[in-house]
Amino acid sequence: MSELIKMRDVTKVYPLGQTEVHALRGVNVSIKKGEFISIIGPSGSGKSTLMHIIGCLDVATSGTYFLRGKDVSKMDGNQLADIRKEFIGFIFQDFYLLPDVPAWYNVSLPMIYNRVAPKERKKKAVVILESVGLGDRVNHLPNQLSGGERQRVAIARALANEPEIIIADEPTGNLDSVRGEEILEILSDLHEKGKTIIIVSHEKYVAERGKRKIYLKDGRVEGKN
Amino acid sequence: MFSGFLLEILRSSVESIKANKLRSFLTTLGIVIGVMTVIGVMSVISGFQKYIATSFSQLGANVLYVSKYPWGFGMSREEWKKIQRREDIGLKEAEALKEYGTSFKYVSPSILRNMKMEKDDKEAEDVQIEGASEDFSRITNREVSLGRFLSKDDIKYMRHVCVLGQDVVNALFPEENPIGKKVKIQGRQFSVIGIMKEKGKMMGQSMDNTAFIPYTTMTAFTGKRISINIAVYAEEGKETEEEIRWILRGVRDLKPGEEDDFSINSSEALISQFNQMTSTFLMISIAIAAISLVVGGIGIMNIMLVSVSERTREIGVRKAIGAKSGEILGQFLMESVVICLFGGFLGIILGASLTKLISLMSNGNVPFHIPIWSIILGFGFCFTIGVFFGYYPARKASKLSPVEALRYE
Ligand SMILES: Nc1ncnc2c1ncn2[C@@H]1O[C@H](COP(=O)(O)OP(=O)(O)O)[C@@H](O)[C@H]1O
Ligand SMILES: [Mg+2]
Repeated sequence: MSELIKMRDVTKVYPLGQTEVHALRGVNVSIKKGEFISIIGPSGSGKSTLMHIIGCLDVATSGTYFLRGKDVSKMDGNQLADIRKEFIGFIFQDFYLLPDVPAWYNVSLPMIYNRVAPKERKKKAVVILESVGLGDRVNHLPNQLSGGERQRVAIARALANEPEIIIADEPTGNLDSVRGEEILEILSDLHEKGKTIIIVSHEKYVAERGKRKIYLKDGRVEGKN
Repeated sequence: MFSGFLLEILRSSVESIKANKLRSFLTTLGIVIGVMTVIGVMSVISGFQKYIATSFSQLGANVLYVSKYPWGFGMSREEWKKIQRREDIGLKEAEALKEYGTSFKYVSPSILRNMKMEKDDKEAEDVQIEGASEDFSRITNREVSLGRFLSKDDIKYMRHVCVLGQDVVNALFPEENPIGKKVKIQGRQFSVIGIMKEKGKMMGQSMDNTAFIPYTTMTAFTGKRISINIAVYAEEGKETEEEIRWILRGVRDLKPGEEDDFSINSSEALISQFNQMTSTFLMISIAIAAISLVVGGIGIMNIMLVSVSERTREIGVRKAIGAKSGEILGQFLMESVVICLFGGFLGIILGASLTKLISLMSNGNVPFHIPIWSIILGFGFCFTIGVFFGYYPARKASKLSPVEALRYE
């Protein structure tokens, strides 16, 4: 299997007033296509920061990052946006749905930027919503949905442009364990279907889902990777 | 595909404006007022210009009127006093023009007086009686519908004959053919020799409550000591005005270097003077409109900044799923332009209503006429303001870092 993600000596430094915060202090990570990875670590260890860089939402302060063999650290904002659009699907702890539009529109949003025709967008959004068990919630607004349902809408949105990689940052953080299991079930399913899944959590039952675990502590990876 | 994207951001702009109806409306008020002013003022002025143009063109195109007083406005008190001291224009001048004119053939005095006309027990009040020569119908391009106009002999022999306007015919001869019948003007008997073609209304007044009599006969009513107007038909491309000047200067014994003590008027000159005045007024109104549009634009900028900060999360989400900076910029620019165009639309509706109101209040004298270019100008302004004042907020939105935007509380 080819290396999908290859990070070498990645650091991330946030300026904070007069001082600096070293969120990542030289991270080396390699992830192959189709893997199911859990990133584990205490709060503040740099998990979200690492996820943002992996997902091309942010860039490293130093180090190299090759995604599908291409050097991401040399890319500009538009190129990064294209990568996010085509290859990455994000799932966040707080769902981040647009509150004023129905579920299907939230799901269709990434397709707008992928220039999918309007009719096509809605049709596809409905199909994806059905696949995550929300066929009867298509026209609901986010505040008419439960937390678990909202997160499933967010997953559907992440799948809209059929990305290779799904990145989930504490996807169950706002859910009880039953709803959390449902979400993990869907992610496992996606892994079965060949997607590369990277999930961040500090909860044990979530982390256990991963086929391989990466431990983060103080901005460094523990053990060898 | 790209037009699909534009359509999508247009649609979402309209949605977000609908979601904040009151706010959008208040924001757009400055624009509404600005555009309303532009449309209202331009429509009224252009309506008024049309009205003036048609009104004065009824005096006759290519007709020069020699008078003691100049037509128009904007004279100082001193100038006015000087003009009042001018020697009257009399028949002497009219006869000289007729005799010596080479570039023009048709000359007619025009002596006006409103008098009562009677026929047995019927009367026509306040008829505008015009003393004229046989040339007058050619000069003003007016014809008789029945009978004939004044003739050279009518003038020469000071005949008591008259040509009636349609209103007078209606009042005095409701049932019979008036030709050859007698009517009375201030106790004197006149024979009717013709009827003028109907002319209709001008400035809300009928132009047919008139009668023409020989100017030589007219002086029996007015006496000779009165300043008259002289109408001259100026043929296209000839230096008629200049020739009239030289003839009149000769008749009135003006020495070289002395100022003209008469005025040569034309409806064209009056209309152009009027247009000049209104264009100054137009400029002032446009300046006022521009100020309210700029104020409106600043309002737009303010509300767009609020909108960008309220929707920071949304911007983060859009970027996370692959929106480029340019696409975020486009979305917010589109929103600002749509708000402005919406304001412009309201402004056009209100401006048109205002014009309609003015038109109704003037009894239709100021015609209801919205020039198409004022609408284009109105929308053009709005578009420009939307882009200009929306750019800074939109750019701010587009430059947000996705991670920062998502973390925004
Ligand atoms: N934008 C930022 N500015 C300053 N410090 C930040 C910023 N984002 C994260 N950090 C800091 O970086 C460290 C790692 O944060 P994060 O990656 O969110 O950790 P985790 O997700 O593991 O809790 C923390 O100390 C956090 O306070
Ligand atoms: Mg985190």
